[in-house]
Amino acid sequence: MKEPFISFKVNDFFHLKKSFPIIKLTTLLLFIICLQSEAISSSRAQLQQQKITGTVSDATTNEPLVGASIIIEGTTTGTITDANGKYSLEVSGQNAFLIISYLGYLSEKTSVTGKTIVDMSLIPDVKKLDEVVVVGYGTMLKKDLTGAAAKISGKDLNQGPISNPLQQIAGKAAGVNVTQVGSEPGSGLSVRIRGITSLIGGNDPLVVVDGIQGNMDLLNQLSPSEIESFDILKDASATAIYGSRGAPGVILITTKKSKAGKFTVEYNGTSSIDAIANKLKMMSADEWRTQRAAWNVPVSTDHGSNTDWYNLLTKTGSTQNHTLAFGGGSDNFNYRISGGAILQDGVVLNSNNNKYLGRITATQKAFDNKLTLTMNLNSEVENARNSPGGVGRAGYFSNTISNAYEARPTDPALNPDRSFFFDNSVFQYINPYAVAKTVTNEVQTNNLFGSFRADYELTKGLTAGWFGSMRKVDRYTGYYAPYISTLDAARTANGLANIATNLQTERLQDISLNYKKSIGSHNFDGIVVYEWQNQLYQGNFVQERNFPADITTYNALQFGSSAPAFINGGDRSSYKNDRTLVSYLGRINYGFMDRYLLTVSLRRDGSSVFGSNNKWGNFPSVAIAWKINEESFMSNVKVISTLKLRGGYGVTGNQQGLGPQNSLQLVGSSGQVYFNGGQITNYGVTQNANPDLKWETRYQSNIGIDFGLFDNRLTGTVDAYDATTKNLLFNYNVPTPPYPYTTMVANVGSISNKGIEVTLNYQVIKTKDMTLNLGGNVSFLQNKVLELSGNLNGISLNSDTVSWGNFTNNLGAPIYLIKGQPVGTFNIIRHDGIDAAGAETVVDRNGDGKIDTGDKSPDRFNEGSALPKYTFSFTPNFTYKNFDISMVWRGSGGNKIYNFINQHYSFFETLGKSNLLESATAKGLFTSKYGSDLWLEDGSFIRFENLTMGYRFETKNLKYISGLRISFTANNLALITKYTGLDPEINVNGANGFGTDGGMYPRTRTFAIGLNVIFK
Amino acid sequence: MKKILLIVSFTLLLFQNCTKVDEHVYDKYASTEFYALPRGADAALAGVYAQIPGNWGGKGYFGADQGWSDLNIMTSDEAVIPHRKSGDWELNYAQLYMREWLPSEAYIWTVWQWLYNNAIFSANLAVDQLSNAKADPSKIAEAKVLRAFFYYLAIDAFGDVPFFTNNNLPPSSIPQAKRADVYKFIVDELTANIDQLPTQKGGNYYGRFNKMSGYALLAKVYLNGEVFTGTPKYTDCIAACDKIINEGGYSLHPGAANVSSPLGYKYFELFGDVCPDDETILAIPITVDVVGRNIATVRSLRSTDGALLVASGVGSWNGTVIPPDVIAKFDPKDIRIQQFRYGASPNGPKPAGYLIYNNELTNIENPGAMSNDGARSQKWLPAAPANGGGSSNDFAIYRYADILLMKAECLLRTNGSNGDANDLVTQVRVRAGLSALPTPLTLKNVYDERGFELTWEGFRRQDMIRFGTFTQQHGGGFALDGKTINVVVPAVDEHFKLFPIPTNAINANSLLKQNPGY
Repeated sequence: MKEPFISFKVNDFFHLKKSFPIIKLTTLLLFIICLQSEAISSSRAQLQQQKITGTVSDATTNEPLVGASIIIEGTTTGTITDANGKYSLEVSGQNAFLIISYLGYLSEKTSVTGKTIVDMSLIPDVKKLDEVVVVGYGTMLKKDLTGAAAKISGKDLNQGPISNPLQQIAGKAAGVNVTQVGSEPGSGLSVRIRGITSLIGGNDPLVVVDGIQGNMDLLNQLSPSEIESFDILKDASATAIYGSRGAPGVILITTKKSKAGKFTVEYNGTSSIDAIANKLKMMSADEWRTQRAAWNVPVSTDHGSNTDWYNLLTKTGSTQNHTLAFGGGSDNFNYRISGGAILQDGVVLNSNNNKYLGRITATQKAFDNKLTLTMNLNSEVENARNSPGGVGRAGYFSNTISNAYEARPTDPALNPDRSFFFDNSVFQYINPYAVAKTVTNEVQTNNLFGSFRADYELTKGLTAGWFGSMRKVDRYTGYYAPYISTLDAARTANGLANIATNLQTERLQDISLNYKKSIGSHNFDGIVVYEWQNQLYQGNFVQERNFPADITTYNALQFGSSAPAFINGGDRSSYKNDRTLVSYLGRINYGFMDRYLLTVSLRRDGSSVFGSNNKWGNFPSVAIAWKINEESFMSNVKVISTLKLRGGYGVTGNQQGLGPQNSLQLVGSSGQVYFNGGQITNYGVTQNANPDLKWETRYQSNIGIDFGLFDNRLTGTVDAYDATTKNLLFNYNVPTPPYPYTTMVANVGSISNKGIEVTLNYQVIKTKDMTLNLGGNVSFLQNKVLELSGNLNGISLNSDTVSWGNFTNNLGAPIYLIKGQPVGTFNIIRHDGIDAAGAETVVDRNGDGKIDTGDKSPDRFNEGSALPKYTFSFTPNFTYKNFDISMVWRGSGGNKIYNFINQHYSFFETLGKSNLLESATAKGLFTSKYGSDLWLEDGSFIRFENLTMGYRFETKNLKYISGLRISFTANNLALITKYTGLDPEINVNGANGFGTDGGMYPRTRTFAIGLNVIFK
Repeated sequence: MKKILLIVSFTLLLFQNCTKVDEHVYDKYASTEFYALPRGADAALAGVYAQIPGNWGGKGYFGADQGWSDLNIMTSDEAVIPHRKSGDWELNYAQLYMREWLPSEAYIWTVWQWLYNNAIFSANLAVDQLSNAKADPSKIAEAKVLRAFFYYLAIDAFGDVPFFTNNNLPPSSIPQAKRADVYKFIVDELTANIDQLPTQKGGNYYGRFNKMSGYALLAKVYLNGEVFTGTPKYTDCIAACDKIINEGGYSLHPGAANVSSPLGYKYFELFGDVCPDDETILAIPITVDVVGRNIATVRSLRSTDGALLVASGVGSWNGTVIPPDVIAKFDPKDIRIQQFRYGASPNGPKPAGYLIYNNELTNIENPGAMSNDGARSQKWLPAAPANGGGSSNDFAIYRYADILLMKAECLLRTNGSNGDANDLVTQVRVRAGLSALPTPLTLKNVYDERGFELTWEGFRRQDMIRFGTFTQQHGGGFALDGKTINVVVPAVDEHFKLFPIPTNAINANSLLKQNPGY
């Protein structure tokens, strides 16, 4: 697998080097020819008048371009294209040249000599520095941006069977690490912008879709093909405008709108076949039998079958994605309506996810265009059937598919009478095939969000705006495990059913005043906003046991038994809580001579989830930029087309780790108690109170440089940042006594993230017929826990070494938070060998004759971190005439993975009740008391993530079709790694337990066909 | 400009209410308000009792893994969960039996957390809230006795322990008090309060401290006073026992054979669904999954026996076994031997398909015991509702037989009447189908009788420490039919008589000092 990749890369590199001078030469030649012909033509051009007509279209899609400008070179005469991309123009002089330009495309110049029809297809300018970026509460030209931000739009988005919008940006932006663990239908992706900034849950960036703010789940309800662009705000000077929610970064999404004067009907579809990319090598039945005999395991454990459990539980999956969109508009009104479906059938039995999406957006102008009204309605219905998680036997609970490792290959799946095999002699035996076939685990989600925006231009430059949005997420979950599922809980309960309803309502409104003014070389753009947000969460849960039959699953709970033996304290519950955030914010952008730029912002946030002593916080930022290329002394430096220096500093907050009611000492129910001769509900204090609880504060400085060389053929951005999270929210260990709980959420410690991000893009070939573009980025990150101890209400905290793993507690969790080390440091007992009895021996580091597995044990070694030190991607694309091909290679490295699966399936002591990995034989381990570094592996990888090839058909002769493209995408074609587990792309989200491979839904390799049709 | 100002002031007016960011609580009670409610004080008292039944996560006195009693049983000579050759059970249980624990041992940390996070905190809260509410003095006394009970458990396990009676103190004012000082607090608190407790038995006071269970606790505290302070308190113990014997109205529950009783003897009704009032002084009411759980038998039996002896569909855990040397000490005529299940024709129910356990235990660590090795306990023959998470047998913390044996022991230790002591032990023996022991009665006799009568009831570690056997070698060397069938538990250093202060507790509070030897 390694060889082709390396040779490809080498070839490509040579190709780049060789072609470079040739292209330069050709360009120069062309330029000279143009100059000459211009000089000659000018003398005799006046007399003839001729009418030139033609069509201007997009070179990649063939879509007509509406409103493209055609100007006769050297004059002010010109016209623009109509709704069909057509134009007609009187040209005087046979040798005139037309300059055809359109925002976002490379301008073209063409001679009219001897022509009456001049058609022109324009090449989109993918790396244009004057593109518009969304910055939160407004937009800016990228060239005027002072902070660190990345924009990914249009052609740059990953293609293929996309089910979650984040898949479109994986590998596309430096410092933005998108991770997908396995390929479970409907499963979310994790994204981390500039590292781990928080420890208890506040690492997900804020998501803003057309002004609607939300958590990552907001992404689930968007149709990926309806997304116009992603803008990712990375540094604090950019995110400080989002105050106490800005610290983990912000992802702004702009959805597609119709263009004035153009009506379109467009279909987008992909269909893929999804296969399992990699499997673990477990023992076959024969191998298991050999080992059983060798290890003297009683023969009664062999049930005489030959079952490939993993095969039995998996199949080929599929993903389909269809979107039909239509829209149009006039100068004053435009609309866009789309409907779509994303249908996923997973590779594990009974796991699928079907989403249906609809959207209407419309904009109306009134009062001489002073008033702009925009409305947006978005709905999503999602029906998921999930493979049950958290199943297994004592000591190992994971998803259903990982239990296929557990089952002995000699166990039959079915008894001769077709009932599910069950082995009573194994404690909590489960038959994973029975689980996959009989457990019902369904979720229906209804998402609805809408927004309304009104902007009124009070006077020239001064606009008042009102924006309101509401989002409803209703989720209905149903679960039923029958007795025959073999799950212990279901057998005990004789059928276990539960339903849950979770309702979520998010409301937001803001009122803004925006003022723009230019006086001479001074440009001002200022905004003040008042904003109010509220999120309300409500729900209930009911559980029943002991059903006479399994037919009704979770749909008739009243059929369950009401006998006391089948009713538990936790069987019914309901909840309601909410959080409110009130904010005042302002921002001023000031530009002088279009080269010195200053951005200042301030936000003041008050949140209900903060403790009573800390309700309000301030989040200021300042950033400056210098467009060096605008300076006169740069006018002679031809090689540099763009050069901008940026620097910024900002204070942002993070409050997502705080739930409602975190700061209060409350009394909740806590099971039942026998008192006064009967059972009554017991009440207890729920947590340690902390009236000082507040947001985390992230102080970040950023220095960046944007450059474009050789007429912007080579563009790049380099950013360096230094961010420190203080007032770190964490469940600090507090002494008991006096606290009733051993941990307390408080603001004490600090974490540092420092990094460098480099993005480069080089247009190696740029001709009308052929383009070759090499893009890539690399990010280096250094994460460090600066402090976890400190003083809390006079208590000296002593949390300098905190266990941060949850999988191997019995064997001494090896993942830690340690002062001075990265989050997720492997502080681990070192493997030494194996003793005569087959037990693992480990290094007694301090030589005291005892192996201490305590957290601060002197026998532990520091063996690296679960956090990658670098991530990178390489995204070349090539077009030739109507053919295009693009690739995404991405990877990360410098991290370690604790391979719990390897550990769990390597000890022969469990052979009697479980299968083992083939590799266990060579290790020959019977047992171990330790979670040693034997299971620690290098987590570096390079993945050939995406290969897309497309072909655009000529549609000139088709009556109803103006654009037609078919494409082929292959995902996850190759993986280069030393990791021996299923896939090295595991959770690197920094949360408790990350860095451990405890079994995952298989990752797929997909092959997809895509179709894009634009109708006339 | 006027227009703008108008709009701005209008909007500000409209949204002036939208600047409040107070927390709304819809689904919980604020603790200050809740405990001030008329039901709040009672709820605070009930909340203390809620800490006593065992539950998952190591909560409680008895009933689930890692509870107080579990630690005291598992570290003694009478129970062990061996590592199995089939791969079941981690080694940490065997290590408790082998007395190889370190300060980082999770089991010990769990018990510490229970004592301080749950038990003592809730007792302090109840004392506070009941006092604030000017509740019935007997309820305040009850909460104080509960607190004394927890402190007694704390000094028994850990020696010098943090001591506080006010939940609102900063940790710097919570010193690690000397064992003797806490002992004095316990004695003072009990003597000041137990007479205020009602005398009612059963009914509303089933599962609660009444006057006699207060005396039973006081007797226990005195019994171990010499261990706690170095000063013998056996005479005081006799006085407390006499209070119960003379005023309590208790008697030994009959031991007679009775087919409708568990295991065929009325004696085992003591360990049935509800503890009988005649002998039980303090009970833990248990309903599995609702109020605690009793896993003693479910955890002991192996797999298919669960479905036969616990409830249909239940796979039992193949866990705790009784070492053969413990069983060997029983007189074959002793009805109490019915609690052990082993051999081809075991004691107790014999439903078709029952498993045969071998009364031998030659390896408990590596490679481990065979699946059917070790006798099992069916002392708490599962009472319904029962499932894989345990059964609903209530549990007696203190019962009359214990009091009789305690008094007998104290009589011997104070050179009291040997005949009286023997009479007390004889009462217990006769009920078990045995005859009186020969005179003179020895302390060894009482020690052994306590072992027979109170197997797995949570006193063994304490008794072994008091009788000086805890750190000595046990197990091993025992042969049956010429075959060594027991593992050897080597003698350990004296410091094992106290558990270490858990590493996590010391990490969180640097003022705590580790017990010597660890």
